Amino acid sequence: MAGPLAPTWTPETTSDERSELDRPWVTIVWNDPVNLMTYVTFVLQELFGYDEATATALMLQVHHDGKAVVSSGPRERMEHDTSRLHAYGLWASYQRDT
Amino acid sequence: MKPFRAARSGELVARLERAEAGILGLLLDQLEQLLTADLDDVGDDPVLGRLFPDGHRSDPELAADYRELTESSLRSAKGDDLAMVRASLPAEGGEVRLDADQAGAWLRTSNDLRLALGTRLDISEETEPPEEVAGEEDQQLAVYYWLTAVQGSLVDALVASRSGRR
Repeated sequence: MAGPLAPTWTPETTSDERSELDRPWVTIVWNDPVNLMTYVTFVLQELFGYDEATATALMLQVHHDGKAVVSSGPRERMEHDTSRLHAYGLWASYQRDT
Repeated sequence: MKPFRAARSGELVARLERAEAGILGLLLDQLEQLLTADLDDVGDDPVLGRLFPDGHRSDPELAADYRELTESSLRSAKGDDLAMVRASLPAEGGEVRLDADQAGAWLRTSNDLRLALGTRLDISEETEPPEEVAGEEDQQLAVYYWLTAVQGSLVDALVASRSGRR
């Protein structure tokens, strides 16, 4: 709460800092040679509620491009999503969106 | 092996030969040893690196935070899955009959076993099943592909039973 002693000047956020703060975090699944394509699709549906077409498209992106963003949002949620994927043995990590 | 299929009851049913149940039991023992071993002894094991990967790839501090936050619960969940698989595995072979929770445990544990073997055998996308089993490595490769068939049939059966529920 702002009382009489509260600073009247607040530092301005530069646009660079702002875009750094606004950029969401993402969870990425990376390609690996062991996980079955059907298994990856199944897990993406199970964990994120994607329909079969969406989950299959993401799985194919992992397979062909080497990775795919499977969820995005606040950092804590991406940590949680990454750990849920790790529980199923998918090769996942989270990072700030690039 | 008779692969998994979805029974009318909703359960997932397969049949394992005695030798297959024995191999699966041994693999479960090996995985359990690795999961419960002192990290001072096995910390560098590439299989553990694959089962508990870095959460963040370029920031060691975030990766360490993630590990501290998640690793012990991931580890105990793997232990719980493993115990559930062992309890539902007929030691002498025979029918395997799984409810939804048990099927989830089999799915994740069979994947962990494939990840462990796949890491040890340095499996790549070009690796193919051995045409004849000549040595120790061919044997392990054959086990890897057998596990792939077990897990693949379980995924297919789960997908079939899920679309049946809709």
